[in-house]
Amino acid sequence: MIEFEGVSFVHPTGVKALDGVTLKVGGGETVAVVGENGAGKTTLVKHVTGLLKPSKGRVLVDGVATTATTTAELSRKVGVAFQNPDHQLFSESVEAEMAFALRNFGFSEELVERRVAWGLELFGLTEYRASSPLVLSGGEKKRLTLACILAWDPQVVILDEPTVGQDALQKERLAETIRMLTSTGKTILVVSHDIEFLWPIQPRVVVMKSGKVVGDGRAAEVMAQKGLLESARVAQPQLVSFHGALRSRPTSPFVDPAEARRWIAGERR
Amino acid sequence: MMWLSSGFLFRSGKSFYHRIDPRVKLLCSILMFVCAIIARFVYEIAIVVAFVLGVAAAAKALRRVGRTVAFTSLFSVLIFGLNFFVTRDLESSVLYAARFVGIVVSTSLFFVTTSPDELEQVMKTFRLPRDIVFAFVTAVRFVPVLMLDAMQIMDAQKSRGLEMQKGNVLRRIRSMVPVLVPLVVTSVVRSGELAEAMESRAYGAVPRPTSLVQYRARAADKVVAVAALLLFALTAYSFYVVLPPLGL
Repeated sequence: MIEFEGVSFVHPTGVKALDGVTLKVGGGETVAVVGENGAGKTTLVKHVTGLLKPSKGRVLVDGVATTATTTAELSRKVGVAFQNPDHQLFSESVEAEMAFALRNFGFSEELVERRVAWGLELFGLTEYRASSPLVLSGGEKKRLTLACILAWDPQVVILDEPTVGQDALQKERLAETIRMLTSTGKTILVVSHDIEFLWPIQPRVVVMKSGKVVGDGRAAEVMAQKGLLESARVAQPQLVSFHGALRSRPTSPFVDPAEARRWIAGERR
Repeated sequence: MMWLSSGFLFRSGKSFYHRIDPRVKLLCSILMFVCAIIARFVYEIAIVVAFVLGVAAAAKALRRVGRTVAFTSLFSVLIFGLNFFVTRDLESSVLYAARFVGIVVSTSLFFVTTSPDELEQVMKTFRLPRDIVFAFVTAVRFVPVLMLDAMQIMDAQKSRGLEMQKGNVLRRIRSMVPVLVPLVVTSVVRSGELAEAMESRAYGAVPRPTSLVQYRARAADKVVAVAALLLFALTAYSFYVVLPPLGL
């Protein structure tokens, strides 16, 4: 679905934001991109939407090179919820905000109405239908931006720091939504620092550092590599580090007895 | 767009011109500005612009000031068109358009080589009201931030299928609405937050706050100021007495 083939990107200021990234994301996969600030995560996902074009290498979305198409055309397949919802809300009502992209894509008015109603219902925003999006709370604005994207049913959904400004309950609902989208076969890319949010979703985890992919694998595998996470300044999920701590202290009833015996034998020696 | 507008932004440098007292730099820019105003012919304005570009080259800011020329050229075409439409006088239309470039380039040299902090000190030297100084300097300081916001908003709207480069002029102008509304809203919100942050840090608690920086003109600054005034007098004399009245 998405292929990065030796992609490098140099900003006009001369900063190398991506350095030879090769990555393949299959259809229906949920991938979390993690790494410290400035690691190149947002630059990476901006290549998927064609907002940025690679300085070297190429990016393919559904077999089409992003250099051969426009962002507006690509956005029919790729929906992005940017970090700051205030950067996209402008309409006079929540309803009009949701309909904006649908009309840009030429959906019929009947379909626009159906999709808007579906999105508002899904994200609990129906009561704000006629309100200005600018008066919503931070969490509601975030939900609205996500609803706006899902309304046109893109194949790929990109969430850039979706948990910023969200309370615990909203995070839980967001995780539910991601699981729901995964079950409907959507390809999801989540850029996040919030490891505790990502852990229960159990995505494929791509670790980035200085514009390079330094780790890639199942969440359980990658999150267990403390050294790798530390080098990329990513915190280990509490559950994983707690598990690690339990494993090194065989006083817990969860530890395999045979393992405990071996540990005791080692200690005695 | 970003490339063009960065022509007005300060970037620190170590050139001689960067190190001159900002009050002297302001004097130089005002004199160049006045030269562009009093010039009677296009070739005289060309001399002024060439001089400004020469100073910019010496200050290693030619590329930035060159961007200003490129940016203002777009507006000067508009000025030329409007003037010519109204007066049907080719010579005066070109003169007004060229004069606009001269005026903007001479002021741009000041902004490109003077940091917002220096600008603040200069304004304080003239005993301007503190609130006005703060508002002006903050506006200058926030230009790059607003540009970054505009870029991010454009990215967000393009990702929702907004085509900004397609269609006729009217459609293109209309496509700016989804960019301008969030830009204005975020700016208003930011200014409110900034005001609260400033007040919580005792802004306005005393009528005359102390200042860390006190400018004292060095000998080199005085030499530059005197040289600038002499050069200005010479230029004005040349424009009105020595140089021949040439048309376009």
